[in-house]
Amino acid sequence: MTLAPSLINLDALAAGKSGTVVHVAPASGEGADSADLARRLMELGFVPGEKIRMLKRGMPGGEPLAIKVGNATFALRRYEAALVSVQPE
Amino acid sequence: MGVTEQVAQAVAHAPMIALLGNPNCGKTALFNRLTGSRQKVANYAGVTIERKEGHFASPQGHPYRVLDLPGAYSLSAHTPDEAITRDVVGGLRANDGSPDVIVCVVDATNLRLNLRLVLEIQRLGLPMILCLNMVDVAKKRGIEIDTAKLARELHMTVVETVAVQSGGEKGLLRALDEMWPVVPVKPQPLAAIDAVSVEDTQREVRRILAAVTKNYHNTDELSEKIDNVVLHPVAGPVILAVLMFLIFQAVFTWAAVPMDMISAGVEGIGQLLSTHMAEGVLRSLLVEGIIGGVGSVLVFLPQILILFFFILILEDCGYLPRAAFLLDRLMGGVGLSGRAFIPLLSSFACAIPGVMAARTIQNPRDRLVTIMIAPLMTCSARLPVYALVIAAFIPEREVWGVSLQGLILFALYFAGIFSAMGVAWFMKRSTGSKAKQALMMELPSYHWPNLRNLAIGLWERAKIFLMRVGTVILTLMVLLWALSSFPGAPAGATHPPIYYSIAGMLGRALEVVFAPIGFGWEICIALVPGMAAREVAVGALGTVYALSQTGDELATSLTPVLASSWSLATALSLLAWYVFAPQCLSTLSVVRRETGDVKYAFMMAGYMFALAYAASFITYHVARTLGA
Repeated sequence: MTLAPSLINLDALAAGKSGTVVHVAPASGEGADSADLARRLMELGFVPGEKIRMLKRGMPGGEPLAIKVGNATFALRRYEAALVSVQPE
Repeated sequence: MGVTEQVAQAVAHAPMIALLGNPNCGKTALFNRLTGSRQKVANYAGVTIERKEGHFASPQGHPYRVLDLPGAYSLSAHTPDEAITRDVVGGLRANDGSPDVIVCVVDATNLRLNLRLVLEIQRLGLPMILCLNMVDVAKKRGIEIDTAKLARELHMTVVETVAVQSGGEKGLLRALDEMWPVVPVKPQPLAAIDAVSVEDTQREVRRILAAVTKNYHNTDELSEKIDNVVLHPVAGPVILAVLMFLIFQAVFTWAAVPMDMISAGVEGIGQLLSTHMAEGVLRSLLVEGIIGGVGSVLVFLPQILILFFFILILEDCGYLPRAAFLLDRLMGGVGLSGRAFIPLLSSFACAIPGVMAARTIQNPRDRLVTIMIAPLMTCSARLPVYALVIAAFIPEREVWGVSLQGLILFALYFAGIFSAMGVAWFMKRSTGSKAKQALMMELPSYHWPNLRNLAIGLWERAKIFLMRVGTVILTLMVLLWALSSFPGAPAGATHPPIYYSIAGMLGRALEVVFAPIGFGWEICIALVPGMAAREVAVGALGTVYALSQTGDELATSLTPVLASSWSLATALSLLAWYVFAPQCLSTLSVVRRETGDVKYAFMMAGYMFALAYAASFITYHVARTLGA
């Protein structure tokens, strides 16, 4: 039996790497803003089951992130990306 | 009934089409294609979001009205733009009425994202046509879409369009003719949209895509290759800096010839009137008040158009969001998002479109801070004042191989940028909230800019600017002329006539406040209209020093007068004043409309006045101490 690599938050994905969205959830203990953000991420295509790829990470600090989801590319900040859990390939 | 009235009547009763879609789907290009010059831009009642409406006739001669709605990713609105779109299609905006037909535009290369909105809107139950736009690009990438099958799956008419190509709208026009006559339907309540979860909607999208497309995953390799360079951590910022430098160079060098032509033209008209009219109040009003005043502002049209030429091209080809991406970190340092870059860039032409462009920022606090600092960007209206004072007081010599005058001008621009960053940082800190700001910005595929869209965009900017010249500035100039002409000088006057006018009295009263920063009554008179519209200050100084020329001629004859009547300390103080000078009235009124609260307009005027006074005070006294 092979162990599947464990889930990581999207903001931890290295540039050039791909993965699959597993779930999108508001950060625990954060308010309505965070829930709103999670919903918008899903509306942009960060939906469980979708393939994503980290295209570029800005410098310095590895932020913002350019992420491909479907045929669209979005720029996110790290804390937004952290709401998305991915299964890296 | 004349032909014009017939057209107007037909238009008023024509069915209303709402054009709807994701941002970057080519919706506005399609709108331009359908309506050409038969479009008008206004604002939605209560908000300054642009409302673009146009009209056209189908090949069979049926008239239609069409409304270009702001781009939206979803009807669960996150921005004021999206709220407008939601309210219009939901029939909640009483002034607009609900649309009769919805034309949903989707990017054929990006159906996975775009179709979700289509499914959401479909739940409203209005008659709908789907425009599969950019089918040419999709075909080139080998993406095959079975249009007939897609229409069956969605239960709606699907047509292929290429909005950037002449005749690319034909499919849509045919579909509209087949739909005629349009039977009005009342939309379902908006709650119908939320009845299905985002995940379920996405599952449906995936199912449809699997059924109707082939090679759907072919991506845009060219855009990725370009991004590898443009978003590169080292090359990216260098490209951005070079680009900005070239744009500002072009704004100043290309504009020189048309600006000279405009001022020569204005002068010519003034002289023509001077020679053919009897001397008197009417001639004075026409030549000095109206032609001189309006001419001194009109001269900025070339610069504004050149700046917008570049902004529109960069926007159309998809570069601007990349610039925002590159600057996000930097702007994050003062608590702004990279998105603020675009409004701030526009503000270099004029703060009004800048303030309006801030509405693409989702976070309300971010948006407010961006609006509040936009007028600190050196708008082109400050240039004539800078140019005049620099020419009069800064010697024409070279320092480290560059012109000292140019260096001072550059320093003034940067003083504006740095103070804006400082104000943003302070506002973010003082509002206290530690809530993190979202960026969430699409980086669309690159494509060639479309000349037709560019021309229409520039024409709109020119119209907005000319409206301002024709209304606000014209009124101000007439008012200023009246205030500085009446009452005339008494017999045996020792000062120029303006000293005894209402403007002169006002100037002398203001001198009490402004003497500590080195401004005499002459400057104080110029400051008053300068607050209404900065560029008017130069004309006002000309009036004060009793020079009746206009345009360039005025600047050249005013230069020696100023050099002999002001101290260097006063001149530097005036430059410092104009870096911050309280915002022009038009901008303040736009700020009030955009923020929906007059308090912010007062706050802006107040803080800029305080900064201007402080900067001038320091400049004046330091310069005096150093012996200037």
